[in-house]
Amino acid sequence: MQSVVEFDNVGLRYGTGAETLTDLSFTLYPGSFYFLTGASGAGKTSLLKLLYLAHRPSRGAIRMFGHDAITLPRERLPGFRRRIGVVFQDFRLVQHLSAFDNIALPLRIAGIQEKDLQGPVTEMLAWIGLTERADARPATLSGGEQQRVAIARAVIGRPELLVADEPTGNVDPDMARRLLQLFAALNRLGTTVVVATHDIHLLQEIENAQMMRLDKGRLSDPTGQLKHPPRPLVLKN
Amino acid sequence: MLLDFALPAHDRKLIPEGRLSGPMPWVIAIMLFLTLLVAAAGVTLADAARKGGADLASKVTVQIIEPDPVARAAQKAAVARSLRSVPGVSGVNPVPEGEVRNLLEPWLGSGIIDADIPVPALVDFRIDRVPNGQMLRAMQRRLESVAPNIRLDSHSSWMAPFFDLMSALVWLAVGVLLMLLVATSAVVILAVRSTLNTHRGTIEIMQMMGGTDLQAARLFQRRVALDALLGGVVGFAAATAVILALGGRFAAVEPGLLAGATFPWYGWVLLAIIPLAVMGLAMLMARWTVVSALKKML
Repeated sequence: MQSVVEFDNVGLRYGTGAETLTDLSFTLYPGSFYFLTGASGAGKTSLLKLLYLAHRPSRGAIRMFGHDAITLPRERLPGFRRRIGVVFQDFRLVQHLSAFDNIALPLRIAGIQEKDLQGPVTEMLAWIGLTERADARPATLSGGEQQRVAIARAVIGRPELLVADEPTGNVDPDMARRLLQLFAALNRLGTTVVVATHDIHLLQEIENAQMMRLDKGRLSDPTGQLKHPPRPLVLKN
Repeated sequence: MLLDFALPAHDRKLIPEGRLSGPMPWVIAIMLFLTLLVAAAGVTLADAARKGGADLASKVTVQIIEPDPVARAAQKAAVARSLRSVPGVSGVNPVPEGEVRNLLEPWLGSGIIDADIPVPALVDFRIDRVPNGQMLRAMQRRLESVAPNIRLDSHSSWMAPFFDLMSALVWLAVGVLLMLLVATSAVVILAVRSTLNTHRGTIEIMQMMGGTDLQAARLFQRRVALDALLGGVVGFAAATAVILALGGRFAAVEPGLLAGATFPWYGWVLLAIIPLAVMGLAMLMARWTVVSALKKML
């Protein structure tokens, strides 16, 4: 089975400081669901940045979608990034665009015709319960609403890899469950999902999800054999 | 690149366009106004130098210095006859004595010159090429056989410093024009960098979603093009008004050295092209600035 992501002895340091991530080796397979946990400052966000190609590592090798991501020419990055959906911890919505336009942004960037994106975006707005707020700017939305828009934007393009940094941090438990169901639905359609979270309750919501635990920039399972996670998964009844 | 100007409405919303709200259109209007004035001055000088040069360079005047009016008139007629028989000589014009007196009047005062004051007789003619010293000496020897006391003045020799000055001014205008274009480019680069910093978050989001450098550059190109267009219209209108007003003043100047200083038709074509060229240059600079800046991001 071809992997979606392969990390081999990857290290990341910012500037001349100490390594933020050290000796990361793991493989993510298509259609798998991973939770990334760890204390604050453990390096979760840095690892996600490597996953959504916002940074290149200081050392080691990364293969994404079967290609060497380290030597990937800059002009080929957009094509790879379009296969990745990202939910940022701080949402990073475009403040002067409406909720509708924020969600439609990845499709427009990918060159989807306007008539072809109206339906999916409207449907997505309905799914996250923001149909009435389609024209609202992010500043007028609550934190939870903004988070839902950010998630809708990340999943609208049906990415092959979905990377989410604390995606349920600002929503109530019901909405958190619904959003995770959305991730799970995408996952069943073949999307590989990586969710960084502090919320251990979320781990119980997804069947067959695997856990990656970061501790001071290192995976707690140094072998990275995530097919055999370091501790048993708690499966949903 | 012009196709980049026409972006879908939703793409235009990504970088809000505050037309005429920022200083860019006004700065471009001022730069373009100056550029057009310099270009107009350069074209006018070049045209005047070309016309005047062509007119005067081949012109020669024979001065017959003979105190006896009867002998002077005879020598004048003889010189004219002799010149008409020379191959390559045309436009032989014995200048009437009254005209010569009129020419001297501003220098000597009116009513002072009477028949008792001998004035030289003049014969103008043209040669089919710019005369050199050897040609003039041969001509002088030939004419001295009919008028022993003559002097040949080639207009090209005494006008040369003036036309050299005009030529230097034309090149100065070209230099100033290029400097203004460089300054305009610098203004565009600074403005685009500033806008890029303001909207860095939006551009980073676009990049993370798979937006290409050129997609981002197009947003800035459009904004800069609109600013350049608006600045161009204002700058062109102001420059045209000034050129037309100065043209009226030039027309009122008595014929002389400035007689050839008219604004030719191709000058207007050049003036119309410059704002479009500035717009194209601004778009090119915007694209280059954005793509260069984005290359520093992953």
